[in-house]
Amino acid sequence: MGEVHKSRSIRLLVFIVIALAAFFLSNVVDELRVFQGASLSVYIVAIASIVLLTGYSGQISLGHGALMAIGGYSAVLAHNHWKVSIPISFAIAIVSTAFFGSILGWAAARLKGPYLAGTTLALAVGLPSLANQFSVLGGEQGLAFDVGAPPKSLGSDFTQYKWYFWICALAALIIVWITQNILTSRYGRQWRAMRSAPISASLSGIQIGRSKVLAFTISSGIAGLAGAMLVMTLNLVTPSAFPLSLSFAIVTGAVLAGVTNLGGGVIGALVLVAIPDIADLLAGKMGGAEKISANLPGFITSLILIVTVLLLPNGPKLSKLVSHKTK
Amino acid sequence: MRLFSTLLIGLSSGAIYSLMALALVLVWRSTRVVNFAQAGQAIASTYIGYLVISRTDNYWLALPVALVAGALIGALVDVALIRTLNKRVKSGPAAEMAPVIVTLGLLGLIRSTVGMIWGGDLKAYKAPVTNHGFTFGTTTIPFSPYNLLIVITTVIVMAVFSIIFQKTNLGLSLRAAAFQPEIARLAGVRVDLVRTIGWAFAGGAGAVAGVLVTPSNSLSPNSLDLLLVLGFVGAVIGGLESLLGAAIGGVVLGIGLAFILEYVSTSLAFPSAFIVLILVLLIKPSGILGKKGGRGA
Amino acid sequence: MFGSIRHKRSLVAAATLATAALTLSTLPAQAFSPHYEVGVSASTIKLGITIPLTGSAAPGYNKVPAAMSAYFNYVNDNGGVNGRKISLVVKDDAYLPTLAVAKTNDLVLKDKVFAVVGALGTANNKAVASSVNLGRRGIPSLFINTGYSGFADKAKYPTTYPLLPSYIVEAKIMGQYIKDNYAGKKLGLIYQDDDFGSDAQAGFKAAGVKFDVSVPYASGSQSAASGAAWVGKLKAAGAEVVVVFGVSSATGVALAASAALSYKAQWILGSVGGDATTLKALGVPAAILTGAQGASFLPSPGDATDEYIKQFQDINTKYNAGAVFDNNVLIAMNTAMLTVQALRAAGSNPTRAGLMAALESKGGSFASASFSPILYSSSSHVGYTGYWIGKYNSSGVMLPDGGKYTLYTTDSGAGAVNTVASKRPAMPAKGLPNN
Repeated sequence: MGEVHKSRSIRLLVFIVIALAAFFLSNVVDELRVFQGASLSVYIVAIASIVLLTGYSGQISLGHGALMAIGGYSAVLAHNHWKVSIPISFAIAIVSTAFFGSILGWAAARLKGPYLAGTTLALAVGLPSLANQFSVLGGEQGLAFDVGAPPKSLGSDFTQYKWYFWICALAALIIVWITQNILTSRYGRQWRAMRSAPISASLSGIQIGRSKVLAFTISSGIAGLAGAMLVMTLNLVTPSAFPLSLSFAIVTGAVLAGVTNLGGGVIGALVLVAIPDIADLLAGKMGGAEKISANLPGFITSLILIVTVLLLPNGPKLSKLVSHKTK
Repeated sequence: MRLFSTLLIGLSSGAIYSLMALALVLVWRSTRVVNFAQAGQAIASTYIGYLVISRTDNYWLALPVALVAGALIGALVDVALIRTLNKRVKSGPAAEMAPVIVTLGLLGLIRSTVGMIWGGDLKAYKAPVTNHGFTFGTTTIPFSPYNLLIVITTVIVMAVFSIIFQKTNLGLSLRAAAFQPEIARLAGVRVDLVRTIGWAFAGGAGAVAGVLVTPSNSLSPNSLDLLLVLGFVGAVIGGLESLLGAAIGGVVLGIGLAFILEYVSTSLAFPSAFIVLILVLLIKPSGILGKKGGRGA
Repeated sequence: MFGSIRHKRSLVAAATLATAALTLSTLPAQAFSPHYEVGVSASTIKLGITIPLTGSAAPGYNKVPAAMSAYFNYVNDNGGVNGRKISLVVKDDAYLPTLAVAKTNDLVLKDKVFAVVGALGTANNKAVASSVNLGRRGIPSLFINTGYSGFADKAKYPTTYPLLPSYIVEAKIMGQYIKDNYAGKKLGLIYQDDDFGSDAQAGFKAAGVKFDVSVPYASGSQSAASGAAWVGKLKAAGAEVVVVFGVSSATGVALAASAALSYKAQWILGSVGGDATTLKALGVPAAILTGAQGASFLPSPGDATDEYIKQFQDINTKYNAGAVFDNNVLIAMNTAMLTVQALRAAGSNPTRAGLMAALESKGGSFASASFSPILYSSSSHVGYTGYWIGKYNSSGVMLPDGGKYTLYTTDSGAGAVNTVASKRPAMPAKGLPNN
């Protein structure tokens, strides 16, 4: 028991160090990087939700973009109609998405692998466009989301993007911390047992169905937060902010780093943000006809993805260092 | 009359979904991989068909050329990518997810390659027969010789595949290699070769779907994206376990969508796929023809 | 003990390395002389655009950047703007607001462009305006490619200047035309079920037009099957005049389905989906397009008798190798021509504020292919304000009835619809602005 406490305190220390490093960096790098840092935090949180759901409880979801949409809309509606603060809006996003996730999880618990994949895929495609049906959701134009300027006490040259970064980074750190604790708790162990040896797991008393639904619920809540963070950085919530490619991207990010690895999720997020940037750079240098230069970044990105997964299907070895001893 | 029209519309679009579902089921049964790159393979084959049409203006030539191209691309993908993947990933969570990412990456790769070669402009594909609905007296029904062509071609493809699977030794080997690869190997079946043939068949089916759907949609690198999703949903509805399931699933989806669009609301196109799917899965979680307990899906 | 220290170190190391890597990969910004505005140097003016080059919304729009650059290159070859050459930085946003914001950030913070021109998409421009906050940064976003009426709000979008008349304006004008010419007929409407459509419905309501049957469709869901469903509904309601307020692909499936189902009606096509070249590529038979009516604020791209069209076609052939001259190319070159005039009016040492002031004070007199007056002023960010109604002939060229352009103008609010005989500034010699 003492071991666990010691390891938890070390972890807390590590998180605090990262937090300080992030805040220090935010004062040093330029505005573009700070904004990318905010986007990075969104991905980190979204990937964390997949690590929990797929890496631990073994359920595939290709539709987490739709869950992010629920979180995004909840946060915006709460903020615009009830005039609540940002932390409360984010909390409402988490709760409402978790609620929806529990219903989805109940349906999903009966579905296996590709059937679940297909269902979540259909959800990813179908859910965001529902916003066009209800005018309170703003339709395709979307709803504006203004979290307000940074407080005056931070100085007059504290940019809006830095403010977003601080909020997103803080939210990401807190939620990853909590998720890590959940994953190392008995629930995390139950999920891993359930995923790797379902028969012995149920024989030893784990209620598979309930455990799965719990995983889906928590994972959805986390995804909801990512959605709220995303719409904050956009100042807008609209169906087109949650395309199918978003759901694919977060699953890709999770797998790239080793889908059971929360720490690796940071690397996955970095890859998701950095590779298109690098591809754009390379394509710009190569130049050429319009149709080549427009498609080259996508080509390079896809190629890197395929090669990376083929070479490192379980994620980079680096993540073995940063993760905790897990089977 | 309205009911009949809606059924016809659903049947024609459902036939296309069935073909795509067939391709996905073929690969699933032989390799246990959901092949998202199927849409990429199909679009590449369709563009190759476009090459033929733009030179010879002959749709009847373009169709088999695209089919062969699709089969070759399918085989290539299996040999180059999937076998490598299988060697490197044996088990664990990565084994389920890595093929998803690899095929997604391949989809993006093929789409951007197609874009680089042909550009993003819309390309037209003329249908070989008129798409003017059959007319009886003063009424014209929403089913044309072209829709009939789609349905007949789908039926032929399904029939050919069923015969191959049920009546030939190749089909027997395909099924054996899919479900009991070690035993099949012991029995002398060249499992890897047979799987590649399965991928080739799937690629061909996807190519036919692409060529059939394009005259009414026109061609661009992203024009088959929706078909991938609907094909997959159709495959899941049908149960992912049999060719007949793929056919039924696709048609059920097509008809379901047509009915929702006609009787509920025309702006529910995207959510309706989810609605049809969840209704089926709530009653039968393994799809219409799927087997309960599955084969360890 | 050792394990946990190694743990902490490696975690911090990993995080630091990764962040440093991302930071270091920043390109150094081009060094501009401190005497000039951002994006301006002694020899160049850098502009930026975000537009879908890939993805499902790309067909058609992906031709715009090349056409704009073609016009800019033509001007550059003929002296440029006050001695400077214009360069256009093109960013692909695949029609996604998240990418539009990220790429505009690149344009503003990394490429450091002078201004953004022709940015496309309602949701995209909304996100960019609020997130990148062009207003606060004082960066002009000129001639945005969208018809959403909200962008005319100066207070909300202080540096954004729409060009296209809003969808409300278009719908009001169509509505008035229908009341004047098709009173008593059964009316049908096909509309896209989002901002597009709701703006249109507001416009028709303002014009006092009621439809006997309205068919909404979800953006992206158009297909042969859905087209058949729409036509089924129109047929069942007996609609004689049908307005299509949708994108080209939706207009295409509606027309193709009608041809297939032998459904005849008087079609009125909205400007967004009315490009004949695109419709033909989508398989619409010439027969059903002939006699259809449409609204436009530009001359038909197929009308080679028009002096602007002829000149643009010429530039297109010489500078935009191989591109078919269609509506997209026309709008692109028209926008580019307006941009050049705005830059010229901004003077020999252009600033961002100066650019916007020049547009507001002198924009009304700029030469452009449109028959609509340009309304930029210190109190109005609205560009074009009117449409003419034309009929497609058997070659797919839309021409005004009787050969004379009658322009309808109105606002996005409750103002009446008025007709004016259109006066269009003559095209500057050789298509090179001389303002």
